[in-house]
Amino acid sequence: MVVSAVVTGDSNTTAPAGDRVDPLGDPFLRTRFAVPSRPATFLPRRRLTQHLQEGLQTPLTMVNGSAGAGKTLLVADWTASLDRPVAWLTVEAEEQRPGTFWAYFLQALSTCGTPLSDRVHCPVDPSRVSHKVLSEIAEDLVGRDPAPVVVLDEFDRVSASEVAEQLEFVLQHAGSGLRLVLVTRNEPMFSLHRYRAAGTLTEIRDAELALNPEEAAALLELHGLTLPADAVRSLVERTRGWAAGLRLCALAAQESPDPETYLKEFEADHSTVADFLLAEVLRRQPPQTQDLLLRVSVLDRFCPDLVNGLTHRTDAGLILAELHRDNAFVEQLGQGWYRLHPLFGEILQTHLRVRHPGLEPDLHRSAAQWMRRRGALPEALAHGAAAADWGFTAAAVVDDLAIGQFFTGLRSDDLNELFSRMGPEATGPAPELVRAARDLAHSDLDHGVAHLHHAEAWLSVDEDDPATTQLSWAFLEAVAARLTGSPARAEQAAETADEVRQEVPPHLLDKHPELSALLLTHLGSTRLWAGRYEDARAALSEAADCPGGILTVLPREESMGHLALIDYLNGWPGRAEDQALAAMTETERFSLPQPSGSGIGRLVLAAVAVDRHELGRAQALLDEADELDLDTHDPVKAAGRAIATARLHLARGNARAAMESASPALATTVASPWADSLEQLVTSTVHLAEGRSETAAEVLQHLPEDQPTWTVEAAHIQLAAGRPGAAIDLLDSVPADSRPGPAVTVRAALVRAQVAQMAGDTETARRFVAQALILARRERLRRPFLDAGRWIRPLLAAAPLRSLAAEWLLPGPVPGNGPPPAVGPRPAPIVVQELSERERDVLQRLAQMMSTQEIAVDLYLSVNTVKTHLKSLYRKLGVNRRSEAVHRARDMRLL
Amino acid sequence: MRYEIRVDGHMSDILAEAFPELERVVMSGQTVLFGSVIDEAQLFGLLARCQSLGLHVVEMRRMPD
Repeated sequence: MVVSAVVTGDSNTTAPAGDRVDPLGDPFLRTRFAVPSRPATFLPRRRLTQHLQEGLQTPLTMVNGSAGAGKTLLVADWTASLDRPVAWLTVEAEEQRPGTFWAYFLQALSTCGTPLSDRVHCPVDPSRVSHKVLSEIAEDLVGRDPAPVVVLDEFDRVSASEVAEQLEFVLQHAGSGLRLVLVTRNEPMFSLHRYRAAGTLTEIRDAELALNPEEAAALLELHGLTLPADAVRSLVERTRGWAAGLRLCALAAQESPDPETYLKEFEADHSTVADFLLAEVLRRQPPQTQDLLLRVSVLDRFCPDLVNGLTHRTDAGLILAELHRDNAFVEQLGQGWYRLHPLFGEILQTHLRVRHPGLEPDLHRSAAQWMRRRGALPEALAHGAAAADWGFTAAAVVDDLAIGQFFTGLRSDDLNELFSRMGPEATGPAPELVRAARDLAHSDLDHGVAHLHHAEAWLSVDEDDPATTQLSWAFLEAVAARLTGSPARAEQAAETADEVRQEVPPHLLDKHPELSALLLTHLGSTRLWAGRYEDARAALSEAADCPGGILTVLPREESMGHLALIDYLNGWPGRAEDQALAAMTETERFSLPQPSGSGIGRLVLAAVAVDRHELGRAQALLDEADELDLDTHDPVKAAGRAIATARLHLARGNARAAMESASPALATTVASPWADSLEQLVTSTVHLAEGRSETAAEVLQHLPEDQPTWTVEAAHIQLAAGRPGAAIDLLDSVPADSRPGPAVTVRAALVRAQVAQMAGDTETARRFVAQALILARRERLRRPFLDAGRWIRPLLAAAPLRSLAAEWLLPGPVPGNGPPPAVGPRPAPIVVQELSERERDVLQRLAQMMSTQEIAVDLYLSVNTVKTHLKSLYRKLGVNRRSEAVHRARDMRLL
Repeated sequence: MRYEIRVDGHMSDILAEAFPELERVVMSGQTVLFGSVIDEAQLFGLLARCQSLGLHVVEMRRMPD
């Protein structure tokens, strides 16, 4: 197997593209973008470069020919004389994945000096690219003059039709701003017939690539061979004008004492051309050169130092330079890097297997070690796996502190796939940690924890384990702690992590910011589960503020989602909504496909929507969250889902269904006060609804006393069960300094109002309802009023409450002749929450009469996101329509 | 499924090692590779292998089982 062997040897090989890294988190590798240089014996072919030049008139050029037809060098030769930017990308098998492909595409443009604007987002998920990113790329290219030429060499390695479709999309929408040149062995999955019909395709195929006798004669002459015309013609016939065949002919003949006779013999021979000639040419090399060529055939690319390592020599540099100068085996990529001509690489590999059976794994192992020393982790892992040296490969992951990448989704697919081949024979702390990481990443808790125990046993035997191993272990402990709802274990893990972190080389910590971000998220999630909101907030805020761009986007999104849940649980639906939206924007910013992320933000939004009595929206959000394949083993997410779902069922009057969804099946080490409280409240509500008020009250006894959110709801149930005294006692037990949010205070005011109403004190009742209305209006909290009962309706229907409830709680404007007194035609919101930057952007465009669609395009957002911003904008301004929003914003000098 | 793939020229023993799953006979200036093929994926894989080794496929056909 050929394994990519490009490394980030020195800072020169890292492209100067700011902090843009590929979705795998590696610095981009310049050799991928290098135009192969032409050997001294290269034959320029004017008729073909001419055709390519004419091809600039069409958006798409396809150079399609068999291996060794001379495609790559032809295009390289042509681009050398172009006076416009040329982005060159040699496609590798891993760029099958659309996200990776487009990241490299962008980087190729940037490397050739025509970067796209910063507004174009780099894909972050290797397996996907969002439509938005493709539109951004196309839009950025539109109108470029001269249009950059993008050459995709070895495009046949992209077999995914997705990438081809995406390329077609970009090509079509970039108009004249992009010239695409595909160099490929077979026809790409483009709708070529359409391009042909429209005359927008330039094709150079095998027949045109084949050398004609004059060209063949010139090529042989470059190799110092002069042959009579008919000899050349029969050679061309024998090789079908195949460039590689002719070049090999020349090389073999060159070495022969009598070239002409040799070529005659070759003509008469019936062997397959490349097979025969390559063996001939190889045989004529000195033994050490033969050995070198065979050994490097396991590498996609190589530099002298790597080759020295593989061949136990010190002079590989000289040999490589000579090979590049003298024959067609070795192509130069610049900066000391070479590669084998793909055709010869394949044949040489077969020779290697026959001549040195069993050597391949050793070569891969040496290559892996060399890569590891040079800090090229992905390459080290690929070669380590090819050598089936799992002890080394697992240790490479752990020592690099890359264990978090099993979870972040950035490299996770690759890592999981790679290690799925690891057998049970590999032992030691690193393989166990890798096994634990794989299992935990798939929520296979039992196996994961077992492997974690094995790892711990190894660690306790060997005291000298490197700090990276211990930190990786502590990190996985935190994952296990979170999934088992075990705060003690999480705290212990965090403490261990803090201790060993001092001993970990700082550059590794900088390289893997995701590890700390994930650890903090797990710690925060576990604390939240245990009901320690403030401690949880501390860890989660730190995680949410983690640097690291795309590497930490998922833990950041998850932490922000958790923070939103805390706000919700504290009774602050507006804040929860803002925080949840911010979390979702975070993933959108990095063009993760939508919906994406942990889903916790959507759960919070759904719960908020229920409080606002937007039941359809709540359902839609829950459905979206379910689409994300929510991890039901994660206690906080499962409980978050239970809250939103149970509340939605209750709001729809479906008490039994609420009860069923309120208690998710979880086996956690400690109970969660808020998850349990919810379950008790729902149970109590069901008892009450079914006429068992005694049992309902009984259940409430078990509620914790220090959470105003639950206390207030309990008071509501007590009141409904006919115990106003108990209700008021509960409300009075809430400490004044607990500063609960409006979702709590509104409910509390309504309970007091109802108690007053029952006592016949309508005036007091009205005062409390007014207070509740004012508190609720800004947040559009409708649910508490709908839950309050029938008694509230007459109060709301009459002045002065009617005007406070109009439009957001009760339908239609205030009836009657003329404006109602005192309040004015449209009550201004008491306080306006500050608009977010995005909301301001949307508002300004609203004022310009732009449609939702237009705003989405203009702001590079999805239509759904714009709608979400509009909703929160309306809420903050206390309006229902866009025209009102603009009016209100003008009134308030926001515009 | 049994297939045979006919390529131009005589294949060396070494190159034939690139097709360990197939048998080989040489006839009239061509090499015939034949054997059972599990599915289409393998079939296309074989074709791609021919291509990357620079072999010229003259004919490919399914043989009666």
